[in-house]
Amino acid sequence: MNGFSGSDLSGTLATWVAAAATIAVWSYLVGARRLFAWLQYLLAGLATGYLVLLAVHDVLIPRLAVPLLASPRDHLLLVPALGLVGLLVGASWLPRRATAPATAILVGGIAAFALGGAVIGTILPQMAASLPATSLASPDLAGEVLSLAITVLVLLAFLHGEPRGALTTRAATLGRWLLVGGIGGWLGFLVASRLALLVDRIAFLLGDWLTVLR
Amino acid sequence: MTTSGPPTPGSGETAAMLRMRLRRAAPVLLLLLLLAAASMVPAPADEAALRLGSPDTSHVEQLRRAIGDLPSGALVLVAFDADLGTYAEIRAATRAALADLASHGAQLAMVSFTPEGRAIAAAELDRITRQGGGSAPTDLGFIAGSEAGMVRGISSLVPASAQGSMVAAIRQRGGGIGAFDLVLIVSGSDISARSWVEQVGPRLPHLPLVSIAPTFLDPELEPYLRSGQLTALLGTLREGIAYAEVISASSTTNPGPITRPLPMLVGMLVALGVLVESAVRHVAGRVARPTFGGRSS
Repeated sequence: MNGFSGSDLSGTLATWVAAAATIAVWSYLVGARRLFAWLQYLLAGLATGYLVLLAVHDVLIPRLAVPLLASPRDHLLLVPALGLVGLLVGASWLPRRATAPATAILVGGIAAFALGGAVIGTILPQMAASLPATSLASPDLAGEVLSLAITVLVLLAFLHGEPRGALTTRAATLGRWLLVGGIGGWLGFLVASRLALLVDRIAFLLGDWLTVLR
Repeated sequence: MTTSGPPTPGSGETAAMLRMRLRRAAPVLLLLLLLAAASMVPAPADEAALRLGSPDTSHVEQLRRAIGDLPSGALVLVAFDADLGTYAEIRAATRAALADLASHGAQLAMVSFTPEGRAIAAAELDRITRQGGGSAPTDLGFIAGSEAGMVRGISSLVPASAQGSMVAAIRQRGGGIGAFDLVLIVSGSDISARSWVEQVGPRLPHLPLVSIAPTFLDPELEPYLRSGQLTALLGTLREGIAYAEVISASSTTNPGPITRPLPMLVGMLVALGVLVESAVRHVAGRVARPTFGGRSS
């Protein structure tokens, strides 16, 4: 049904293993914690092995070793990259001062990309898109005003420890209820989403494994 | 010689513990049985009787228009970064989109920036190859570095060892993400359409980005659709199913099974029942224990 496993021997074996793993995970419901723990170890082991394989097969060999061996003069920047990889691999044995630059470059690079992208790609364009149109004939003027009112009320709900008047207190209470309503709506969506995943697993057991569902 | 005899205190304790565990798990086991039974009920002949697809087809139309506007032989990049945990929710919509793109004559290439996405992309490529009936998407593999890798992909996306007519066409247009006419982002929690909008959008502002995302990402991605940073978005289960139904009806290729509405209805009714029961118990508890001075002890 989900189409991932073929009808040959390896596909059949994969379906049986997946079905057994699904039932074993569900056995936690009746308190089979040891079995569940073993499956967690299995998942962690498989994930770690897969990550190592992916890093070696898809990154280190084709993007670092092969270019360096084939034409080192054309890939001079890969030489310090090789050094940084070596530092990170030996992080457990090397002194912290030696490994700190590699970690700093890694964390700094990730943070710079994330922050720069958030400012240029999200904050500025979203602010521009949220500004109400200058013309009163905006097709969604009511929606824009409502959005502004809801945003202000929800922000007021986050005012803590400040002296507030009766009006501000009521507005903050309303903002808190709007916030709860929003979170409730989102959780409702999530229930439907997670239910779809459960229904899919049951369909897998009945369709792919037991073949009683067509 | 038989070993049977009167139950020992140990076995009695085990049996009592098992009974207690079964009693605790009974509601969940009952739910599983209910969902299994509902899954086995054949779909009603009258499809309008029970529908899961959203009646609001505006998001579906946006995606269909984005794909329909592509020129013949367009290069489309499928950025496969879904999660293993939530892919089942968007699987039907993703396969429908791949079928829709193929039926419009688009040339597809797949790339992943997350290890999980790479695993799912490899499984989907394997499925498409096994099914046959058309050329499988070109596999551009996994690119490490998350956002940094994505930015690097703008100038160079194709592995040095890759070959083929599709690869040649990408290299002819520069070899990076800008070589494509459209990017379909199969979103997950680590790399979603948001990462593409933030990293690739400002650098390639004319490249249309469309996305299929699990429900938990919808509140985060919907503003990008409204601001025009995303050309199309299928962000809920109902939109995904509505899209898959439209493609199933209009395409000769079968995008695969779609989530059945009856088990979903049963599950939602159970969820509602739990909510109501909890609320009633809460109110009854308050009535039974009146509070003094406006505060409970």
